Amino acid sequence: MKSALCLIITLLLFPTASFADPSYTEVTAQGNRQVYLAIAPVKNLGGTPNETIAREIGDILKFDLNLAGPFSILTGSANEASSGIRPGEFDFAPWRSIGAAFLIKSGYAITGNSITLEFRMYDVLNGKSLDSKRYTGVLKDLRKMTHTFSDETLFVITGEKGPFTGKITYVSPLSGNKEIFVMDYDGYNVQKITNNGTININPDFSPNGREIIYTSYKKGNPDLYRREITTGVEARISSRQGANITGAWSPDGSRIALAMSKDGNSEIYIIGKNGNELARLTHHEAIDISPSWSPDGSHIAFVSDRLGSPQIFIMDSNGSNLRRLTYDGKYNVNPDWSPKGDRILYSRQEAGGFQIYTISPDGTGNTQLTTDGRNENPHWSPDGRFITFSANPAGGEAIYVMRADGTGKTRVSRNGSRDMQPAWSNHL
Amino acid sequence: MKQKMAKLLLVVCFGAFLISGCSCLKEDVKVEEPIAPPVKVVEAPPAPAPAPPPAPVVVAPVKEVPVVVPVVAPVVVLQSVYFGFDKYVLTADASDVLKKNADAIKKITSKVQIQGNCDERGSAEYNLALGENRAKTAQKYLITLGVPADRLSVISFGKEKPLDTGHNEAAWAKNRRDDLVILK
Repeated sequence: MKSALCLIITLLLFPTASFADPSYTEVTAQGNRQVYLAIAPVKNLGGTPNETIAREIGDILKFDLNLAGPFSILTGSANEASSGIRPGEFDFAPWRSIGAAFLIKSGYAITGNSITLEFRMYDVLNGKSLDSKRYTGVLKDLRKMTHTFSDETLFVITGEKGPFTGKITYVSPLSGNKEIFVMDYDGYNVQKITNNGTININPDFSPNGREIIYTSYKKGNPDLYRREITTGVEARISSRQGANITGAWSPDGSRIALAMSKDGNSEIYIIGKNGNELARLTHHEAIDISPSWSPDGSHIAFVSDRLGSPQIFIMDSNGSNLRRLTYDGKYNVNPDWSPKGDRILYSRQEAGGFQIYTISPDGTGNTQLTTDGRNENPHWSPDGRFITFSANPAGGEAIYVMRADGTGKTRVSRNGSRDMQPAWSNHL
Repeated sequence: MKQKMAKLLLVVCFGAFLISGCSCLKEDVKVEEPIAPPVKVVEAPPAPAPAPPPAPVVVAPVKEVPVVVPVVAPVVVLQSVYFGFDKYVLTADASDVLKKNADAIKKITSKVQIQGNCDERGSAEYNLALGENRAKTAQKYLITLGVPADRLSVISFGKEKPLDTGHNEAAWAKNRRDDLVILK
């Protein structure tokens, strides 16, 4: 009797249970492309029709959700008799017949300089509404509003928001020297951050995405700067003699790990976000650079050539319990610890190029993610689903994104410059 | 017992209806406005005072010959020194060049900056550290040759300032170097 009752409860609760459960579909791997998502043509819901804007909304959704991985985007559209976007305004059958499991319908209404976007997501098989959102803003925030719904879509499907409203900060020699830039993750809305005519490198976002740290030669020495992105307010937080390079913000935003050479050669230190020295972590005549924090702040991965060639090491964030992480390959650099703590990205120089790998912090499961050319400076997206990096498949270096399993490699910076050293911010 | 179960079942059914069924009954659009308050994307103001372009690499020969000054200032040429791949130890050639440089530096009173550089291979970050080691190796040697320490400073440009932008050993060999620059 008891088990029968349990069964009934399970059956009754099934539709809601799948809502409560963090994953609506079983998404066990990135790039699971067996589930089909249809994106209906974007409808005008009032005001002046604007085909360009309608197409842009659809393109953003397709770009984001194609990269997302849990589904394939259906390219065709259903032959609908009635194409309304709200429940009851259309029929699921045509969508079911083209194989869609999920459907996104959306519309826009433009009034002067302002736009209202309405997005609706449906479970086609069960003919059910999964999500609906309406956003109103100025026209130039169209991309941001649409990315917000893409983030939301991943939340509905997997229980965890997407990273598509995040920004990428990077280095570009577009103007002849290396300056720091910020752009949307998909390469739009490029914003020049520094403009000092010298060398500016190693940008990293604060955990809240509002500030960056970077190294600049603008005062004659490679010093570390902290800058608020929107206001441009900036402080030189480490100008100790010699190098102040490869700064990495701690996960709680209070500290910065970096490499400095003030005590003779390149060592790893921790300073406060205002520049006060808190700890020296390494004491070795070899080169120690490129620290990366574990997400709980308890460990730091870094590069050292203390055994003869650059390799990745891990230590506690007080400098104790040092151990070597990478044993394969002669030149392993650029470690980046995943936001969930389970993987560490790095790049390996081999046969003239650089390839991106991931490895578990315990040294197991080493996996190669790229195969050709020069792929460097890999950084996780804030949700750990994606990786941004620089690559030069056809000679010109550019910023790319791909899924955490190495699939879906897509170029996002598009100015024809040699863009490099990307880092992806959290949602603003 | 049976009654209790029936009650429980009823509650469960009603609960399920509430949770899954109610979405059909009401408009569930959550108006989130404005999602993006008309945030002005403030263009980062240009850096307050654009820093002067990097000091030109002042390697003599100095062209202007002083006209009136009776004693002509010594014309000092400091030569670059070169390194092996991924190395910062001085070769015999590099040591010889640094000996000549030390003599030349002792004849003048200016400060000298030793600028370490690398070839394009390897990571930008690692090369910054490697370039600094190259500069410091030369600095230490010059000091042992009697150049006052306070006349010497070091900086690394890593692989940021190649002399030759080619992608071959000839270019790389030119780029793995210390430039010695006389500061004004």
